[in-house]
Amino acid sequence: MKNNMQTEIKIKDKTYRIDIAEMEEDLLRVKVNNRNYFFTKNKSGELISVDPNLYAAGAVSEENGIIYEALAEKEIKSPIAGVISSVDVKKGSKVKSGQKVATLIAMKMENEIIAETAGIIKEVRVKEKQFVNSGEILITLE
Amino acid sequence: MEKFKTISSTNQKAKELAKKGAGPWTVIMAEEQKAGYGKEKVFWFSPKGGLYFSVILPKSQIEDLQTLTILAAFIVAKTIKDNFSLEPLIKLPNDVLINQMKVAGVLTENIIGKEIKASVMGIGLNTNIDAFPKELENIATSLKMELGKEVDNEKILEQILRGLKEQLKTISQ
Repeated sequence: MKNNMQTEIKIKDKTYRIDIAEMEEDLLRVKVNNRNYFFTKNKSGELISVDPNLYAAGAVSEENGIIYEALAEKEIKSPIAGVISSVDVKKGSKVKSGQKVATLIAMKMENEIIAETAGIIKEVRVKEKQFVNSGEILITLE
Repeated sequence: MEKFKTISSTNQKAKELAKKGAGPWTVIMAEEQKAGYGKEKVFWFSPKGGLYFSVILPKSQIEDLQTLTILAAFIVAKTIKDNFSLEPLIKLPNDVLINQMKVAGVLTENIIGKEIKASVMGIGLNTNIDAFPKELENIATSLKMELGKEVDNEKILEQILRGLKEQLKTISQ
């Protein structure tokens, strides 16, 4: 954690404990009475709140501090050339970080392809038994 | 080393443990597997008596893991040859045969995100199996059936593990 600031504000007779922390360069966590809210910068540099759906999908979680992954990779690519032996998600499925999305048989081994970020499946671009090249986009996330 | 009397699959367990951060060379061994599998999830007959284990491999390059998979079949074949008067053959890349019947199989599984997160290698060796079901009796054999006597699973395990460690050291240098 880079910087953080704590304060208390009083609105009428209610006290709010506020803890603002800069988790990463473009990620701000605002804790209000132990509830976390996350903000990030959009392309124009404006501060926007992180989509609560991503929060619900587990993209933002508290584990060893805060892990922030929501705005990371939105494309799951094939790490190596091979044949898809199973596709384990459908369009619209919610995936967690670390969840298996497909199996790729390559180089005589079975490779579980996992989502590195949580999200909702936007598009599944491959089918079972399909040959894929290294770097080919298999699945995209919303 | 984690030993189980019964398990669904040693590879499945190894992947679970690897995801939770278990270290390299953690070995998961089971007396029997209820849902042992090989390539493309094909059922691997795993009754009591056989040797079933999986190893969490150190993080390696994918090319090295491929080489190690092929070498694992050689190591299993060599272990059989060194200990018993049998002539195993390797059916590349993953199987070991005796008299054209399958005696062992190797399955390496990787968990990959942007990079390789974990790799496990499972080996099933038909050691002290007395008989196979009808659908397998013409394609599978065991060391006990070939030799007419029991073999020492622990000793074989130890030799295979030693071979894997030595080979991985050689190829990843």
